[in-house]
Amino acid sequence: MDELELLKKDWETSSKNYPELNKEELYKLIYKRSSSIVKWIFIISLLEFAFWTLLSFAFNSSEDLEKMQSYNVEYILYPLMILGYGVLIYFFYVFYKNYKSISATENTKMLMERILKTRKTVKHYVIFNLVFMCICIVIGVYIELTNNPEVLTTLSRIDSEGEGNVTVFYLIVVGLSLVAMVLITVFLLGFYYLIYGILLKRLKSNYKDLKELITE
Amino acid sequence: MKLSSEHNFVELLQKHQNIVHKICSLYTNDSDAHKDLFQEITIQLWKAYPKFRGDSKFSTWMYRVGLNTSITLYRKSLRRVESQSIEPVAYKLSYEEYDDTKDEQLKLIYAAVHKLNDIEKGIVFLYLENKNYKEISETLGISEVNARVRMNRIKTKLKTQLNS
Repeated sequence: MDELELLKKDWETSSKNYPELNKEELYKLIYKRSSSIVKWIFIISLLEFAFWTLLSFAFNSSEDLEKMQSYNVEYILYPLMILGYGVLIYFFYVFYKNYKSISATENTKMLMERILKTRKTVKHYVIFNLVFMCICIVIGVYIELTNNPEVLTTLSRIDSEGEGNVTVFYLIVVGLSLVAMVLITVFLLGFYYLIYGILLKRLKSNYKDLKELITE
Repeated sequence: MKLSSEHNFVELLQKHQNIVHKICSLYTNDSDAHKDLFQEITIQLWKAYPKFRGDSKFSTWMYRVGLNTSITLYRKSLRRVESQSIEPVAYKLSYEEYDDTKDEQLKLIYAAVHKLNDIEKGIVFLYLENKNYKEISETLGISEVNARVRMNRIKTKLKTQLNS
């Protein structure tokens, strides 16, 4: 006899051995806290949105703004700020829409795709922020080098008094900025992939199995 | 309104709770994990209950939510991941392990089913529940042909495992 047929015969009878929960026990269960991956994705994603928003506030303090206004570079600063907040609103809207569409009543493939799509929205937001941060650092360094009085004084002293080499000065500043960008990017990406790697390992593996099944 | 909905849900769940137990028995290896998954499926069923329109049987709707929770939503704790790293053959199905009189061959079949991947377990579960290929394909989001082909492969896989 086929193995599964044998199992099928036993399936019905063995089910009688399960413990039967009464109504009170079931009532208690429905209000317990869920530990589903969707809940964790939602929490981690909200933390990511909060992290980048707080970071942008930290760099947009009134002191920094006043300093930038004194450089007369609002024409660069304000479009960047509008872009940053605009993109935040856009991504948050898409993320929330995708999150709300996740439903355990969908078929398995659809459910997996919706979860991965929601996660991808946050991933794109993080990538945007990393690129945006690097662009802001480059612009910030350029603005400081061309407008900061202390930097300008140092540069003119190096140039006129021959205390050093201007090219070396520029190279040091650019080099340090690059190192900072690489370190921040590697740290954030590493952290990001570690968290999501652990969280989504099983889902991705099951999605791969399902896709293989479909293409065979 | 909420109370009556809660009451209806618990009543239906109590009546069909065996379905949840059966799913748990396929996807977990010990009674702690079984209880944990049972709880998560119950929570997901309750969360999804407002979407239950009654155009399908409650039990059919439970299959979908239960399998989705087991395959996709359930997050195993480290304790359970550790326990799963133990050779599955050493396990019988949850609750089966307390029954020493169970036929040896059945125990081996159960152990072999436990070795299947989560998607294959879903197919086997629906097959054991007498679901046809159309229902299996609709629950998992695959085609009927995919379900049929994979079912044949599962049968061969089980045969090979049991004869090795």
